[in-house]
Amino acid sequence: MSHPEMDELYELYVLNALDRDDAFQIDAHLEDDCAHCQEGIRAALQTTAALSVLADPAEPTKDLRRRTLSSIKPPARSRPWLVAIAGLSAACAALVVFSLWSATRMQQMRDQVSVLRGERNELRSAIELLTRSDTRTVQFGQTEETPHGRVLISSTGGVVFVGMQLPALDRDKRFELWLIPAKGAPEPAGMFRPNTSGESVHISSVPAERSTMAVAVTIEPWAGSPAPTTKPFLVVPLG
Amino acid sequence: MPSHEKADAQLIDLLRKRDAEGLAAAYDRYGRIAYSLFLRITRDQSASEDLVQELFIRLWNRGREFDASKGTLGVWILSIARNMAIDHVRSAQARLAGRSCSIELIDKLSMSAHSADPESIIDRARSVDAGFRNLNANEKRVLELAYFEGLSQSEIAARLKEPLGTVKSWTRSALGRMRRAIQGASAQESGNS
Repeated sequence: MSHPEMDELYELYVLNALDRDDAFQIDAHLEDDCAHCQEGIRAALQTTAALSVLADPAEPTKDLRRRTLSSIKPPARSRPWLVAIAGLSAACAALVVFSLWSATRMQQMRDQVSVLRGERNELRSAIELLTRSDTRTVQFGQTEETPHGRVLISSTGGVVFVGMQLPALDRDKRFELWLIPAKGAPEPAGMFRPNTSGESVHISSVPAERSTMAVAVTIEPWAGSPAPTTKPFLVVPLG
Repeated sequence: MPSHEKADAQLIDLLRKRDAEGLAAAYDRYGRIAYSLFLRITRDQSASEDLVQELFIRLWNRGREFDASKGTLGVWILSIARNMAIDHVRSAQARLAGRSCSIELIDKLSMSAHSADPESIIDRARSVDAGFRNLNANEKRVLELAYFEGLSQSEIAARLKEPLGTVKSWTRSALGRMRRAIQGASAQESGNS
């Protein structure tokens, strides 16, 4: 079929009104990207689309418009300033969290330094006590399996209590060290708790009078007691 | 530039940007004529409304493929609408599947091909009506059977109990006169603008 013959058929082609043989010939041209046929089809589409106005005018329901438009989902609009604000907010939040974490961490480190300083001072005191000429050392305990250790005491420098295999305590309890004089009431010499292995080194700067005849350890409430409230679980005679 | 041309170009631009206002404007411009076409072909109000909805969803989904400087929105909408309506009234194994001007071809030739005549179909209604009124009764009948009922020339011949050659002559004559009426009106419009 020649192009002039086809020129009369393009509208019928786009209306699907051509019989099979004629349609196949146009199909073949279109498959070969025939520019003449493409242009013919393009013009035919315009002609046949215009025939739609021959339909009797009819009015769709107003609800159809609403239904049609509500059935599509427009993509979210891109709002760069919102993204920027969101990013800035996230950065600020991260900075606040980091600052809080840093402050907390800094405080923890200060606390650790403070503890270490305290321990350093105690060790200095202990070393000083050990070097004093009036320091006495007394061992206590019979076996390795029971509470044992030693007491270093100076009438001018204080007391160092070193204990092992000490019993575990309730959360609200601590050991309290007492200096027991020959006469009079026991004198409190500080609170301490053993570690998880039952070990403890307690250093007290309370000077031990020469009359001190023993040291004792009781279990007391966390805040301590001015006088023993329980029977001493350990008494170490110094004589 | 005719007013509709700017309007259609703007609609395509909005549709390409996935702007819902573009679809609303396209509906306002072509929804009524598409519905009328669906109703004329299907004779079913409910089915026509469903088809309108499907048509504009398809337009929304394909909107990015239009070329605002070249595309012919009305041609695409009404060509697709007719195909959808004919598909609807015919069986699933419609002959459209066997030999058709496919929807893909309509997409290809109406979405991005340059149109020498971008005039809106709606604006051509008067000349289309005038051209149709000038057809004789046989030409009108075969044109309606081909366009609104999707019958082939052989089917039209069988329906009208007329020789195939006669029907071919009537349809070609009818389409030729309509083509000239539409293109003539277009040329006149271009000359005036």
